[in-house]
Amino acid sequence: MLGYIGKRLLQSVLTLFIIITIVFSLLRLMPEEGYLGAAADKMSPAQQEIYLTNLGLRDPLLVQLGNFYANLFQGDLGKSVTYRTDVPVVTIIADKILYSLLFGLGAVALSLLLGVPLGILMAQMKGRWLDRLGTGYIVIVVAVPAAVYYLVIQMYITEIFHLPMLFDEYRPVTWILPLISMALAPTASYAMWMRRYMVDELNKDYIKLARAKGVKERTLMFKHVLRNAFIPMAQYLPATILYTIIGSIYIESLYSIPGMGGLLVDAIQRQDNAIVQGLVLIFSSLGIIGLILGDIAMAMVDPRIKLGKGESVR
Amino acid sequence: MEMTQTKSPILTIHNLVIKFTLRGRVLTAIRNISLDLYKGESLAIVGESGSGKSVLMKSIMGLLDKNGYIDQGQIIYNHHNIAQFKTEREWLSIRGKEIAMVTQDPMTSLNPLKTIGKQIEECVNLHQRLKGKAAYEETLKLLKDVGIHDVEKRYKQYPHEFSGGMRQRIVIAIALACKPQILICDEPTTALDVTIQAQILQLLKNLQQKYGLTTVYITHDLGVVAKVADRIAVMYAGDVIEVGKTHEIFFNGKHPYTWALISSLPQLGSKGEQLFSIKGTPPNLFQEIKGDAFAPRNQYALKIDFVERPPFFKVSDTHYARTWLLDPLAPKVEPPEALQAFFAEGRRFAHES
Repeated sequence: MLGYIGKRLLQSVLTLFIIITIVFSLLRLMPEEGYLGAAADKMSPAQQEIYLTNLGLRDPLLVQLGNFYANLFQGDLGKSVTYRTDVPVVTIIADKILYSLLFGLGAVALSLLLGVPLGILMAQMKGRWLDRLGTGYIVIVVAVPAAVYYLVIQMYITEIFHLPMLFDEYRPVTWILPLISMALAPTASYAMWMRRYMVDELNKDYIKLARAKGVKERTLMFKHVLRNAFIPMAQYLPATILYTIIGSIYIESLYSIPGMGGLLVDAIQRQDNAIVQGLVLIFSSLGIIGLILGDIAMAMVDPRIKLGKGESVR
Repeated sequence: MEMTQTKSPILTIHNLVIKFTLRGRVLTAIRNISLDLYKGESLAIVGESGSGKSVLMKSIMGLLDKNGYIDQGQIIYNHHNIAQFKTEREWLSIRGKEIAMVTQDPMTSLNPLKTIGKQIEECVNLHQRLKGKAAYEETLKLLKDVGIHDVEKRYKQYPHEFSGGMRQRIVIAIALACKPQILICDEPTTALDVTIQAQILQLLKNLQQKYGLTTVYITHDLGVVAKVADRIAVMYAGDVIEVGKTHEIFFNGKHPYTWALISSLPQLGSKGEQLFSIKGTPPNLFQEIKGDAFAPRNQYALKIDFVERPPFFKVSDTHYARTWLLDPLAPKVEPPEALQAFFAEGRRFAHES
């Protein structure tokens, strides 16, 4: 098991390095105003040149990359130039990350609590009204662009229930709508996958044999079907959890939540390259962590994955 | 041990009709079957795909698909009419406990995420009321009984670590763990290669003796039947058309469908000629079948075959066939020549041994 985890970790670190390098290179292709910030207008070309040289942007690219990594290992992601002038990016992100995590994890918890049981019930009542209702919900949430129903919720639900339209961390009611909006899509996808995997399992021969050997339907559900249906979910869950946390960009801007998503939108608009770089780094690390967790979870529950050799045999 | 031919029925099927609703239409899968299963015997139910042999056995275990139902008739087991069972609780008193099943495909019949030991032990817990160490010991014993070595180690392994034949042995161990009276083997060797088939059949035969089981084989493979069955029931289009002891069916079959079935054995073909196959297709079960269901494909069919369902004509105390050809008024019809030769040879062989 440890060997397997070690190997997966190593692969992930490599992936992360590649991502960082790509992000770094892409940002070097951007116009240089991004590094000058609001001061660009006030500087003469000569001053700009000096400023950029001081930032190290006139060094050869490889040296820049080396410096970038060196700073990264010291926890230094550079300084913001436009968003909050001369404040370290790390500090800015640290202020925001808690909100994103709270909303992200809250939404994930909510969607798991609703989505997984919904999927199980739908599988058990396949073809009956609950299944149809659930399918309708899934189709709507998947087919309608998220931005549309986010807006509809923000505009009309707030009006109907007289809720504030913007987030205010000291008023608990304002947490509700963003959380629900964020949970809608993952709830649908958990329900959909859970239903699908349950139905898959229910049709398998070993369920027929288990029935024939006199196992109660309830026991069958919980001891055989559920666990087996969870295997494909196990791999997929951590990644979706992290995507949910990351994917709050819309919601955070809509409700003015001071989280990382909103920050990313702002930073891109203001061309604050250092922040964009830092956020992309964090988001991609989270994504990769999700994938590793998924693989480890899989390896823990599925005996068919041979550990140590690092090969999966199905 | 009490042996095969004691004449007390352990299970009686009486005038059973099973129907399915399919997109608003009704299909009759079992058409008024009566059949006795005798204690300790080994009965083979033979027929082509769709003849209703699996449906018949599923109905005995209450495992019909949701759209299937018993329309008429009785299934008597242990003085209970199990055809009237409705609730899961009622069925659980039979399923596994009294009647167990060996399923067709061992590659998919085991839960891939549980050790085989646990899967057998689940049955031991349920039906033998053993817990903990006693259940573990019993599981190991069962594994040995089905011919698996190194049982302590094997107990902890998962299905994917076993070959097909080994898995079928485990499926058999699961069935035995139920301590059933009746063991239904649904095409137990179809998914296995020929050498393994013989081993599994021999194993089933030995276990039948050892555990005093009554076994039912569902199969379309007459070769399997010849090796294991005491008695054969031939099914066609949801009806039992001939029933008798194995040698009576094989060497003195009376129904033209039985003839056709035996003629289709590849062993009976002569070199250089095409193998025999039955012309036409089985009847549409959505429609009401008049007379003998096989009549449209039967070159010996009489006029009455298209009008009235033949009753069972008695050939011997143990041998009955549903064909008008056995009526005293019917013209004398002999089976095809190749088959006559086979019958004669078979009977001579049966006499000698």
